[in-house]
Amino acid sequence: MSRFRVGIDIGGTFTDIVFLNAEGRLFTKKVPSSVDNYARAIVEGMAEVFGEAGITPEDVREIRHGTTVASNAILELKGARVGLITSAGFRDILEIRTLRMPRLYDLAWEKPPSLVERYLRQVVDERVNANGAIERKPQQIEVERVVRKLLDEKVEAIAICLINAYANPENERFVEEVVRELAPDLPLCISADVLPEMKEYERTSTTVINAYVLPVVATYLTALRKGLDADSISAPIYLMQSNGGLTTSETASKLPMHIIESGPAGGVIGSQAISKASGLENVITFDMGGTTAKTSMIARGEVTRALDMQVGGGIMHGSRLMTGAGYALKVPAIDLAEVGAGGGSILSIDTGGSLRAGPESAGASPGPVCYDAGGENPTITDANVILGYINPDHLVGGAVKLNKEKAISVFTRKIAEPLGLSLEDAAHGAHLISASNMIRAIKAVSTERGRNPRNYSLFAFGGNGPLFAAGMADAIGIKQVIVPPSPGLFSSFGLLYADVEHHYSRTFRRLLTDADPQELTTAWEGLAKEALDELNKEGFSGASAVIERSASLHYKGQIYELSVPAPSGNFDSKKLAELAENFGQEHEVVYGHRAGPEEPVELVNIAVIGRGIPDSSRVPEKLYAEEALTPVANSRKAYFGKSYGWIETAVVARADLQQKRIGPAIVEEYDATCLIPPKAEARLDSFGNIVVDL
Amino acid sequence: MSDDTWDPIQFELLRNAVISIADEMALTIVRTTYSGVLRDNMDFSTAFCDPEGNLVAQGLTLPGHLGSIPTALAAVVERFGHAMKPDDLFCLNDPYQGGMHLPDIFIFKPIFHNGKRIAFAATICHHTDVGGRVAGSNASDSTEIYQEGLRIPPMYMFEQGKRNETLFSLIEANVRVPVKVFGDIRAQLAACNIAERQFLELVDEHGVETMSQFLIDFVDYTERVTKAALLELPDGEWSFEDWIDDDGVDVGQPIRLFVKFNKKGDRLFADWTGTSEQVKGAINNTLSFTKAATYCGVKCILPNDVPANEGFFRCVEVTAPPGTIANGVLPAACAARGLTGFRMVDCVLGALAMMLPDKVMAASDGGNTGISIGGYDSERNPFIYVDFACGTWGARPWADGLSGNSNLFANMATQSIEVCEAENPVEILAYEFVADKAGAGKFRGGAPYRRDYKLLENEAVLQVRSDRKVFRPYGLYGGNPGASSSNIMNPEKDARPLDSKFTMIMYAGEVLRHELAGGGGWGDPLERDPESVLRDVRNELVSMNSARDDYGVVIKSDGWGVDYKATQILRVEIQKSRIGKTPAVLWQDWPRKDDKGADL
Repeated sequence: MSRFRVGIDIGGTFTDIVFLNAEGRLFTKKVPSSVDNYARAIVEGMAEVFGEAGITPEDVREIRHGTTVASNAILELKGARVGLITSAGFRDILEIRTLRMPRLYDLAWEKPPSLVERYLRQVVDERVNANGAIERKPQQIEVERVVRKLLDEKVEAIAICLINAYANPENERFVEEVVRELAPDLPLCISADVLPEMKEYERTSTTVINAYVLPVVATYLTALRKGLDADSISAPIYLMQSNGGLTTSETASKLPMHIIESGPAGGVIGSQAISKASGLENVITFDMGGTTAKTSMIARGEVTRALDMQVGGGIMHGSRLMTGAGYALKVPAIDLAEVGAGGGSILSIDTGGSLRAGPESAGASPGPVCYDAGGENPTITDANVILGYINPDHLVGGAVKLNKEKAISVFTRKIAEPLGLSLEDAAHGAHLISASNMIRAIKAVSTERGRNPRNYSLFAFGGNGPLFAAGMADAIGIKQVIVPPSPGLFSSFGLLYADVEHHYSRTFRRLLTDADPQELTTAWEGLAKEALDELNKEGFSGASAVIERSASLHYKGQIYELSVPAPSGNFDSKKLAELAENFGQEHEVVYGHRAGPEEPVELVNIAVIGRGIPDSSRVPEKLYAEEALTPVANSRKAYFGKSYGWIETAVVARADLQQKRIGPAIVEEYDATCLIPPKAEARLDSFGNIVVDL
Repeated sequence: MSDDTWDPIQFELLRNAVISIADEMALTIVRTTYSGVLRDNMDFSTAFCDPEGNLVAQGLTLPGHLGSIPTALAAVVERFGHAMKPDDLFCLNDPYQGGMHLPDIFIFKPIFHNGKRIAFAATICHHTDVGGRVAGSNASDSTEIYQEGLRIPPMYMFEQGKRNETLFSLIEANVRVPVKVFGDIRAQLAACNIAERQFLELVDEHGVETMSQFLIDFVDYTERVTKAALLELPDGEWSFEDWIDDDGVDVGQPIRLFVKFNKKGDRLFADWTGTSEQVKGAINNTLSFTKAATYCGVKCILPNDVPANEGFFRCVEVTAPPGTIANGVLPAACAARGLTGFRMVDCVLGALAMMLPDKVMAASDGGNTGISIGGYDSERNPFIYVDFACGTWGARPWADGLSGNSNLFANMATQSIEVCEAENPVEILAYEFVADKAGAGKFRGGAPYRRDYKLLENEAVLQVRSDRKVFRPYGLYGGNPGASSSNIMNPEKDARPLDSKFTMIMYAGEVLRHELAGGGGWGDPLERDPESVLRDVRNELVSMNSARDDYGVVIKSDGWGVDYKATQILRVEIQKSRIGKTPAVLWQDWPRKDDKGADL
């Protein structure tokens, strides 16, 4: 038996643990998160798997970890007490932000509180101009005074971001030296190291976020290592980054800004690996849990990345248009669209007589009415119970008993009767409306990016994803739905498929026609060297250390850039032309048009990804879940809308789909329920995925 | 519900689909645009309309355009309605034939199915330049529309897919930056085409009857939710008066804004009679823009999810006499009418604050200050740097006013200083909050910021359009007004004070300092929690002196605590000293004049 990779995903309620080895042996564990010390649940959960599976700590080869520790610190405003040093005249860049708010006509709008309050934002008189020339150096005495002031305020970390430092970091370095002298052990983040790109708010905000979560993440990772060591688990820990690549815990402790959207990335990377192995190039991922649904796109086998994101902003429709809800964080991240739709989304009738689903959620407590835990608002889960889609007695796994009668009585009184609809038609309507809210998230990553969702398969996971996926796919013309094994634990499962990845970027703003190819080559090689150094430290070299270049460009005058792959090797005029062509093509795909050759193309930022390729394949040919897959041979009535009515529907286990089956059918598993609508055809592929053809 | 055809489930499904069309149109424009006005100020809108031209869904963008599309589309339908064919596209920008001000070019595409018009896609974009005497076509000191640029009456832009070359060559010959203008027109066309494609897909799926019925149902639905919300509000009549400093031409001559609201059952009437006659300067509104300002204020007191469409307009009637600044007639200039719109929103909110004392905020900074610095470099290449500044909200009855947040009426984003310095011969020396300028109150107004601009080229024309220098942002219910805005030349040298609106030559090394007005306060400052005052002092937004004089709060000499005993004594003293004086319920600090400008 080969050794195991372990994927661990911490959520607010549950910690999911997945063991997988090269032969495809799979063990899973879902344990309650230990909120006071997240490491404890991990260590205890792993110990349980050792006992049940008969394996030992030595059988663990490495641990891959997705965590919300960093994003929670921001959401709950429980990060470090940070002092910010910035240029005189620009004390409030962090608080003024971009001015824009994400809501119109809302007098009650509040900006997210500044992560560094004004009295902890201190200025030094200095100036670098836009060309990088130093107009004024900071004065030693003033810098010392400012640093002492912050130390007197007992700051736990310091961030430095000076105006135009992207063009010349010398003044920042000077301030850095003074801080290091006066406080050698204090965590310190400098914008020139964290994000050497232009745009002062984004750079300041990113540097501050890094400083804000750094002590929290470092403390957590130290505690986790200690806990594992105490249990003789010596395997190394890798952290999932927002960009979908892994990093070591040492690097994550220095640049925690990269692991803020760590949680959802695992599922997307797992989808990418499994769909690639199944020969699928184009996939839309759909991850639906109790409160939110997230989508992303995999095109031509590659995940799509956004160049920046907003952290801690909550979820709202149209957020791609109306920025400003959260804190700007300019690091590459898997491009996710999120809507506030989940099993707990509350159903209501508005004053115009229309049925609405969410965005308010009943959450885990009190939860849906059928949980019988005090919830009085009908939810999507209640509708699904009424429709017969979900087991009426208990949540799969049996952990929570359900009260269907109560769900029916509340739903009838609050929804069906006021709408003048039958119970089942109202519930079916609620199911469809919830699906249509989530379809907007699918459109956000597809049609809004110039991609037609009909050319994609829908890859569904999360506790509620497989319940909605086939219906949604049908509504927008997607022909195939894939539901991987252990869909409810898939975010941790997906961690096992990630590569080590490091992203570096810098501003290199020039018209392509004016760019000096030699200078550009040197700049790119500088970034590549940083990435290679990091990979070498982690044991990747030669052919297993791969560098990919990309560049973000726009037509001169545009503000948004598009990121496109860039040619490797020494640059010359031919390669510059190739880069311009890559950009033109992408512009055409995304926006449906491109400008003529007379319009100047401007290079804005250059970037590299350094990738560590593992020695062995990470995708086993087949998965064997160890838990029993005994056929359930069962059925219940389920409602599929007016045209089908109530149908006696088979309730089956995943293994039952080894023979092709025509819907309707319900697949009940330990961690999720998969709904196969009438006429759809479901089967198991060689990998163990449920494939639904519509 | 309305009738037998109402299907609440299908309605909600189609609503999602149609709203996402309007939003996707907006995304298309924002991502492909070339002009700073569009990308940063989001000075554009997209909409989906029924075949008669009623607004059904609007992309989530600029409140200032709310309600302008039906007016413009009506002008197009009136002229071409019977002759329209598939792949026609129409445009206009003339304020006196459906438009708002010349930079706003409207483009409409009728959508056909089996030869029948079933809908319209609509877009408006504020273009970088449409000609006229001043670059940017946005000058506040033009005195007639003929100076402001190219007027385009409603006309074909494409006729059955064929480009109107006459129009395009006229545009090319009349605007300063045709590449940018054509780039943004391309974005508008792309948005219209996306809307057409997506709506026809919905028609394919659901049938043309269903989709046409939905367009009607969605408007009716909006009318129901608007009426339900209005019924919750008290009936009565409320009016409010506020003043614009001047129009920049007749300097020192205040301009009166006056609105009277009448709320009866499920209807709301807004009447701007009593507002000043139209002025020489370019700040005259079209009626459609006055409507937009009124709708914006009214939407703020309704539930946030009331859709912005014809159903809402049906419940809120707005009137303004022709020939006033609220409804200008030829040849009134209107390029810089944004200023009047912002101030009208303040005026509307002032009236609504009397209707709903615990729901509405005090006055904001008065909206965007427009600053442009333009000229030629040593090689005779033109440069034009345009910046808009706003960011201060009035205090709310439950919380302080926001600081560094866009105005309600124009959800703009600030430009990055570093990008600005890389692209223009301008250096920004400061961008930070100013202490002691927010209106004191139980809840404090927002703190304004200052921005310092230094010119690096030899010389340039500097034009500033600001306001709220004389007539400060009002406080409410005992809150103080915010401090005046200010423009100062060379603050570190001779610190010359300037008017609120002016055009002048600026030379290399000179520095313009612009400070926004402070937000008005809400409630008696003596009722402010002393800990909040302490926090403001620690954050250097309120000085120790202001804490003592305005709030009656004594901060301990080390700056880290409130001296509660001394505070209590001081607050009683201040209370006593007020006896016999008029309480500052609203602003009271300028001569009152009637609508003819005579002293009251």
